[in-house]
Amino acid sequence: MFITRMIFKEVWHRKVNFLLAALAVTTAVAFLVAFFTASKASERETARLMLSMGYNVHVIAKDADIGGFLMIGIPDKTMPEAYLQKLAAQNSISYNHLLATLDGKMKWRGMDVVLTGLAPEVCPPGQQKQAMTFTVKPGTAYVGHRIAEVLTIQKDDVIDINGKKLKVERCLAESGGLDDMRIQCSLKDAQDILGLPGQITGIKAVDCLCFEKGDPVATLRKEIGTILPEAQVFQVKSLANARAKQRQMIRNIFAVLLPFVIIACGVWIGVLAVMNVRDRRPEIGLLRALGYNTAVVCLLFLGKALLVGLVGAAAGFLLGTELGLQFGPGVFEITAKTMLRPELSLFVRSCFLAPLFAMLASLVPTVIAVTYDPATTLREE
Amino acid sequence: MLTLQDLSKVYRTRAGEVKALDNVSLQIGKGEFVAVCGPSGSGKTTLLMMIAAMLRPSRGTVRFEDRDIYELAGPARAWFRAQNIGFVFQMFHLVPYLNVLENTLLAAGTVKRNGQKARAEELLQRLGLQQRLGHRPSELSAGEKQRTAIARALLNQPKLILADEPTGNLDAENAQGVLRHLQDFQQSGGTVIVATHGHAAREFATRTINLREGRLVDPRV
Repeated sequence: MFITRMIFKEVWHRKVNFLLAALAVTTAVAFLVAFFTASKASERETARLMLSMGYNVHVIAKDADIGGFLMIGIPDKTMPEAYLQKLAAQNSISYNHLLATLDGKMKWRGMDVVLTGLAPEVCPPGQQKQAMTFTVKPGTAYVGHRIAEVLTIQKDDVIDINGKKLKVERCLAESGGLDDMRIQCSLKDAQDILGLPGQITGIKAVDCLCFEKGDPVATLRKEIGTILPEAQVFQVKSLANARAKQRQMIRNIFAVLLPFVIIACGVWIGVLAVMNVRDRRPEIGLLRALGYNTAVVCLLFLGKALLVGLVGAAAGFLLGTELGLQFGPGVFEITAKTMLRPELSLFVRSCFLAPLFAMLASLVPTVIAVTYDPATTLREE
Repeated sequence: MLTLQDLSKVYRTRAGEVKALDNVSLQIGKGEFVAVCGPSGSGKTTLLMMIAAMLRPSRGTVRFEDRDIYELAGPARAWFRAQNIGFVFQMFHLVPYLNVLENTLLAAGTVKRNGQKARAEELLQRLGLQQRLGHRPSELSAGEKQRTAIARALLNQPKLILADEPTGNLDAENAQGVLRHLQDFQQSGGTVIVATHGHAAREFATRTINLREGRLVDPRV
């Protein structure tokens, strides 16, 4: 029957003990799930904000004038387009988006404009991510607001740049910056127009900036430097720091609270298990007298702990998700509620780890149970 | 069937050593109903636990059918116990969350035989518990609890039943009933050893042994 049925029957018989133990697991799981649900949402929002703020890593040619680049944001030297694939193929660099560009200042129809050729964005292998910028089809162009206004260019017009005819796909809204003076086309078209086949001026990236210690820029430069010795790396530090600080804050809070919660819940389960073992001394003595071995007694108690863990995992996941959704935005300053959603991967992990946790917490009481001397137990009763 | 040779048991406590059993030698044959009598603390339960292969003697041997049971390893001893010995306790020791039938079948968990459930139901019927199969111990009278314990003890068709104060919590009528059931087992060829400080069991016993302070009062037994 026997073991499984006995476990369920005992649980039903001592409901309060079981519910209190499950509550301990629920508390621990809910804490973890709420925290991870909210922090995942926070990370997602950070990523979204980072994306909306633009690329935070720039790779330019090694001999490009740094001063000029920092002043106007356009490198004066080019590098081979093949660098993009070379960088994208590396597993050692974590990145989310890579974008190769070719920028060139030029005089067009009496105006100083910036021509920017955009290659399709590259995402890490196996990861489909929504592009951060629009993809410009060959033969088309996106015209900056100021240029379109001054030269009265409209959507669907065909413009001629150095003999290359491009259909205006879109006239961009006013940005109040350099983009208003920019014409964006495909990389290939820009290479043709500027007479720089196979060349780019820069690679822009959004990286994950997972460096916990030291100078992330130095690390990035070192890593990329080994792959692309003919390039130099710049990072928009304010963005990087914001993300790093936020992650660090989350880690710190978690690191302080987690041990307390886990230990408290572990002790709670352990004490309840000891009480359960003491309550069941005659039963243990009887089972041993009837010839049941150590494994059976272990199974009775660890099986119950497994059940406690599973019930606690399910309840904890539901509670934790609800808490994360309710209080996460306040704790983690998440503004976009759409970033918050149940993390089903946490449910799977909870179902595996919570029973393990409950069984570990019940291990000492189980050892106490199997070491009861049946003769002593039955004699005392 | 059972030979106890120079059996002694010393418990070490904080207050010092306590000699629970002192040099007890005894032979019990197949088909005997032995009442081990003596006041509380005389060593009756200790003697039963030693015979049950649950309490290793400090000195001496327990031979069951010419085999020293304490020479067996722990698991083998548990297996031996499950196959050969049935227990009846004063406090019944029924598992509170199992019903009468399940408590009886608890003994079947270690000795796998076909038809154990049918046998359990038959035993319970014979013991007048056919209407109580689905009842839990808390829903039974003391007499019914003890009869359930007897059914559990009988399930594996043991050679020996050890009963420790089986009538201690029963009224006279129920006590008689329980002893009669044990007598039935003895008359069908089994051996019964009952530890008691009362007199009821003596009427059913084929032999009475008296213990005082861990010693046999009449060492000739």
